[in-house]
Amino acid sequence: MHPTGDTSAISITRVTKRFSAHTAVRDLSLTVPRGAVYGLLGPNGAGKTTTIRMLLDIMEPDEGSITIFGRPHTERGITDLIGYLPEERGLYKKMQVRRVLRFLAAIKGVPGKEADRRITSWLERLGLRTPDRDWGLAKVDELSRGMQQKVQFIGTLLHDPQLVILDEPFSGLDPINAQSLKDIMVDLRKEGRTVLFSTHLMESAERLCDSICIIAHGEKVLDGGVAEVKARHAGRFVAVAFNGNGAETAAAVLNDRALIARADDSNRTLEIQLAEGADPQQLLRRLVESGASIARFELVQPSLHRIFLDAVGATGVEEGITGHG
Amino acid sequence: MAKLWAVIRREYTERVRSKWFIFATVFGPVLFGALLILPPLLALRTKASADLADIVILDATGAGLGQRIAASLPRTALSPRPRIVVVAPDSLTAAESLATHEVVRGDKRGYLVLDAHTLAGDSARYAGRNASSIGDMEAITTVLRRSVLAVRLAALHVDSAAAVDIAALKPQLATERLSERGRAGSGMVNAIAGFGIAFLLYMSIILYGQTVLRGVIEEKNTRVSEVVVASVPTNTLLAGKVLGVGAVGITQQIAWFTTGYLVARVRVPILHALGAKAEAIPFPSVTPGAAVVLVLFFVLGYIFYSSLFAAVGAMVNNEQDAQQAATPVIMLLVAPILFLQTVLVNPSSTTAEVLSWLPFSAPIIMPMRMVVSTVPWLEVGLSIGGVLLACWGAVWVAARIYRVGLLMYGKKPTPRELLRWIRSAH
Repeated sequence: MHPTGDTSAISITRVTKRFSAHTAVRDLSLTVPRGAVYGLLGPNGAGKTTTIRMLLDIMEPDEGSITIFGRPHTERGITDLIGYLPEERGLYKKMQVRRVLRFLAAIKGVPGKEADRRITSWLERLGLRTPDRDWGLAKVDELSRGMQQKVQFIGTLLHDPQLVILDEPFSGLDPINAQSLKDIMVDLRKEGRTVLFSTHLMESAERLCDSICIIAHGEKVLDGGVAEVKARHAGRFVAVAFNGNGAETAAAVLNDRALIARADDSNRTLEIQLAEGADPQQLLRRLVESGASIARFELVQPSLHRIFLDAVGATGVEEGITGHG
Repeated sequence: MAKLWAVIRREYTERVRSKWFIFATVFGPVLFGALLILPPLLALRTKASADLADIVILDATGAGLGQRIAASLPRTALSPRPRIVVVAPDSLTAAESLATHEVVRGDKRGYLVLDAHTLAGDSARYAGRNASSIGDMEAITTVLRRSVLAVRLAALHVDSAAAVDIAALKPQLATERLSERGRAGSGMVNAIAGFGIAFLLYMSIILYGQTVLRGVIEEKNTRVSEVVVASVPTNTLLAGKVLGVGAVGITQQIAWFTTGYLVARVRVPILHALGAKAEAIPFPSVTPGAAVVLVLFFVLGYIFYSSLFAAVGAMVNNEQDAQQAATPVIMLLVAPILFLQTVLVNPSSTTAEVLSWLPFSAPIIMPMRMVVSTVPWLEVGLSIGGVLLACWGAVWVAARIYRVGLLMYGKKPTPRELLRWIRSAH
């Protein structure tokens, strides 16, 4: 099946999903451009996994519609275009690695011979098949956790999917595997595939994503291209450093809520978010007037982490949020 | 269809390749063979010993009963004859203690006490080293009975040769089942076959149904189910699982039946070679039509129950919870087994008829009724129709529970939640 002329890989329109006790996703709309790496960001419990499960037709939305490559996501064969790595990973433990992969390829419609060829090439690429040892012939539970993760990636990508959906792909990965996954994601993008992944690790998202969508409590907080999102928040963040006890001298200014919405003290540098209506010139003037000795005053682009905290904070930061990764 | 096939193939090949399957498939028939061959061999061991007659007979009857017994006790040419001591009833105690000494010293194997009670047909006593040998005691009892009978007949002035003949009579009861269509083979054989088939159906359904249950739990526990349901519609996955495991079951049954049949065929020569007496096991008379219906009932019963087992598997997260959650399903399955005897004794009773119509018990009871009696084809057809409908319902409900439950890792759902699952899934 070939994608239609529609330029979006995924289009979610006003989707709502309710469970008995709560609403997991509320009136969510987003568009993932074709060929982009797209980050679905949000704290735990924001509705990321539910959104992804609806994309894959594992769950049915109560309201709204979803299209994938311009077709309804429930259409036959659509799921064969998608490679999916769920947050909770697992394979048949007692099965031989090759047989598991052959099965995962078969349920995506890849014929046996072709699957075998791809399995061999992937096992070699990820170092699971070397002249010394072919882990493909081992049983899954003989593999280390890291190797099982690699096998799982292979299973996700064996059928050459146009769209790759990864739910919290970096959770539980050691730095080496995380790096090889990032490399794979970059390669996928170069090959023109679309990658959507969810994460609460802002640093990975900032470096990898072309576009992002931040959701909290099942609702979209903001979305757009990473550069665009950052630009939208530019001019509102200032990095300031003082000589000597300048911070104390300028305390009155720094505590002025009319000027400064928030100040993050990272020891040598203060990251300041300006209050609504305040402008950087005004801040600089006030600091100079206070007599403090200024070592650095710089307009900075906010980190995604900052924007995320800012955005999610507006609707109430939830427990379990972790900005660093 | 390709996806269904992929699921079936995985379920089938992974199981057939497992060591357990190979073990069970090979050793099932070995066990079966042992069951057919060992009992006659053991019976051979329990035959009376050669020196059975090497005893003292204390005869206080005054009617020559001791003589008769001594003459009839089986013995070889070399083994010693019994020694008969004719005593007066009041000196029996003294004679007995003497005989006891003799046995204890090892001169004789044992002693048999015959008195007025014996002649009256009540009792005799035996004490000896071989008193716990079933074979010896049965041989002596048989001889005793015949001899008492012969003595009593002689007392009625029946010619003594004729008395011996009469006493030796041993009529056998041959049974034959009659049905509307006439003679239908041995009644006993069919009863045993009917019972066996019902039990076999029950065992197989439980065995393979539980296999499906465990398979579902494994997929849930290893979290592999989410990857699979992202590629395969849950209905297809459920169907593939049930059919794949079913194919394993049929493979195993074919292997068992084939080897079982062959073992039954070679059993007589083997036993003859080992020196045991044996007669061919009579096979129950089942028409090819009935055989097809039998297989159909197995398949439908299996589909009905294994779908329910799959739903149970999707509801729970571990095998302990599964045992509890599977109880209602197992009760449905056990219910017909409780009535097996009732149905066997009277296969045309109302209980039997109702049980062979109710979809959950029909797959077990109807085949049994068909073997032990003659069931009108219309009734069989209706029963199959009922089971088919029940299968459809069970699969429908199971698929819905399965779809929702497969991704639920919380606690077991309450019945109310379960109802919501069934209603909510699309």
